[in-house]
Amino acid sequence: MGFTIAEKILARVSGKTEARAGDELLAKPDFVIAYDFPGYTDVIFRQMEEEFGIEKVAEPDRYALFIDHMVPTATAAEEDLHEGTRSWGKKNNVPVYERKGIGHQVAAELGYATPGAFVVHFDGHISQLGTFGTLAIGVRRHLLEAFVKERIKFQVPETVRIDISGELQMGVTSRDVFHHIVRELGPRACRGMVMEIGGPAIEAMSLEARQTINCLAMFTGAITAINNPDEKALAYMRERQKLDIEPLFSDPDATYHARHEIDITNLEPVAVIPPSPANTRDLSEVAGTEVQVGYLGSCASGRVEDLALAADVLEGRRIKDGFQLYVIPTSQEIMEEAASKGILNRLINAGAFISSSSCDYCFGRMGAMREGQKAVSTGTLNVRGRMGSPDSDIYIVNAAAVAASAIEGKIADPRPYLAAAKEKVPS
Amino acid sequence: MTLPNLKGRVAWIFEDEDFDVDQIVGVKNIKIKDPDELAKLCMAAEEPDFAEKVKPGDLLVGNHNFGYGHPHYPPMIGMRKLGIGGVIGESFSPGYWRGEIAMGFPQVICPGIIGAVSRWDEIEVDWQAGVLRNLTAGTELPIDPLSDSDREMLEAGGIVGYLHAREGEEA
Repeated sequence: MGFTIAEKILARVSGKTEARAGDELLAKPDFVIAYDFPGYTDVIFRQMEEEFGIEKVAEPDRYALFIDHMVPTATAAEEDLHEGTRSWGKKNNVPVYERKGIGHQVAAELGYATPGAFVVHFDGHISQLGTFGTLAIGVRRHLLEAFVKERIKFQVPETVRIDISGELQMGVTSRDVFHHIVRELGPRACRGMVMEIGGPAIEAMSLEARQTINCLAMFTGAITAINNPDEKALAYMRERQKLDIEPLFSDPDATYHARHEIDITNLEPVAVIPPSPANTRDLSEVAGTEVQVGYLGSCASGRVEDLALAADVLEGRRIKDGFQLYVIPTSQEIMEEAASKGILNRLINAGAFISSSSCDYCFGRMGAMREGQKAVSTGTLNVRGRMGSPDSDIYIVNAAAVAASAIEGKIADPRPYLAAAKEKVPS
Repeated sequence: MTLPNLKGRVAWIFEDEDFDVDQIVGVKNIKIKDPDELAKLCMAAEEPDFAEKVKPGDLLVGNHNFGYGHPHYPPMIGMRKLGIGGVIGESFSPGYWRGEIAMGFPQVICPGIIGAVSRWDEIEVDWQAGVLRNLTAGTELPIDPLSDSDREMLEAGGIVGYLHAREGEEA
C-alpha cells in the first residue's frame, strides 16, 4: 500500500524511510512559527530561559516570528510585548516580520511554505500552508517543545481524502465551498486527522481560493489540511521557497481513513449562522436579516480575488448610510496589488473603511460591536464575543455577500449585483 | 511511572455534541485569569451552586467532539481549581485535547460514556486495565489508550515537566 503526503513528510523529517498513521516519531520541524501574543510567545521565551536555561536557539533560521496581532498598538503594554519579541528575535538571530500582514499569509509569501516541509505553530490556521504541499500544524501549548527541543514527539495522523468536482456559480467562492464541506460531512468528519483535498474543482481554483479552504480545516475537526501541490503551487513557490527539498505527493494507493466526493455545481452562497462554525445554511435562509457591520479580511479571506469581487458588487453603488464596512487586505503585498489594480479605489469610492493588514478586526480588538449589533464577516469564526460584545452576532459569508449586505444593510445575495455589474462591462 | 487512577463523582454531563467549553464560564468572562474567580463562575449560569457541590476528584463527562470551536484555557483553569480531576468524553476536538494535555489535565476517550453514567455516579478510570468503571451501576467500558507522548505529559504534570523528563535524550 502507498503512503499519504502527510506520512511521507513526517517520515522525511524523522529520518525514516517510511511512516504510517499511528506511528509515534521524533520529528524535526523544518520551521517553527509563531505570532507574538500574551500567554504564548512571552511565556515560551521566559520558560526557555528560566526553566530550561536556553539562552539562544541553536538553528535560528528554523524559527520565524510575526507581529500581526495588536497592530497598530493601542496601549503601551502591547508595545512592550512587541518590543520583547523584537529583542528576543535580535538576541537569537531569529527573523521578526512586523507589519507585513497576517503571518499565515506572509509565511507563504516568504517561502516558509516550502512544498514537502513540516511546520509547527501554536495557531491552527497555519494549516493554510498546506496549499503548497506543506504539512503545517497548530499544536497550541505544545509549541514550547519545538522551542526547547530539536525534535518533537508526534503521532502520524490518519488522512481523510476529499475530492471536489463541478464548477462554481458566479457569486459563489471557495469560502462557500469550505462551509459546504462542514455542512455535508459534519464538524468532526476529519477529527484528529489531516484533510487532504483535491479534485477538478480544486485544481481549477486559484492558490488564494485554496488558501481559504485550507485555513479553516480545524472546523472539520482536522489538525491540518493539505493539497498535493500542482504546477500552480510549485511555480508560485519556486522563486520563494526557503528550502531546497523535493515536493512530496500522496501515492494513488495511499491508505485513507475515509474518502468523500462533493459536487459543488449547484452550490449557492452560504451563511454560517451564530454562534457556531458548524451551522452552515444557504444564505437565502437568512437573507433580509438586518446587519450593521461588515468585515472583509482575515487569514481566511481578504486576498486580491476577494477584494476584486467585493469591488465588482459595489461598482457604481454606495454602502448604506451608517453601515460600517471594514476592508482589511490579508497582507501588505496583497494590499499593494489591490491598489495597483485600482481595486482599493473602487472600494473607497463605495464607502469602505480600509486599513493596512492586521489580525485585529477578526477578534474584536478593532471594529468591536456593541450589544445587539450584527455583522456579516469573512473572519475565521462566528462564536459569541469574537467581534466585541458577547451579545452581538456574526454571520460568516463570502466576500461578495459582505459587499452586497453593506449596500442593503441586510444580509443579501450578491449574485444580482454581480450580474448587473457584468452587464455594464462590454465583453 | 504509571498514571494514578481517576476516581470521583460525575459532577456534570455535557450532553451537547461539539460542545464549546467557553460556555462553562461564559464568553463574557473568558478574559478572566484569576483561578478563584473562574472557579466560582463554572456552570454558574446553569446551576448557581455548582461550585459548592463539587468535591475534589470529581469528574466531567462530555459528548462527541468535546471542545469544538475556539477553546480557551480559563474554563478548565476554573474547573481544576474546584478540584475536577479530569474529563471523560465520547471523543474530543484535537485543539482542545492538546491544550489541556499540555496543562497536565487528564482527558479520557471512552466511547459509550454518555449512555453509561448518570450525574453523581461514582466512577473510576483505571489506565492500567484500560477501563472506566461505573462503581454506582457496577458496569465498565473500555477506554482508548493514550499515545506515548500524551501519557508521558500527564505523568509529568504537563508540558514543562514532560520536557524536563526528556532532558538528556539524544538530540
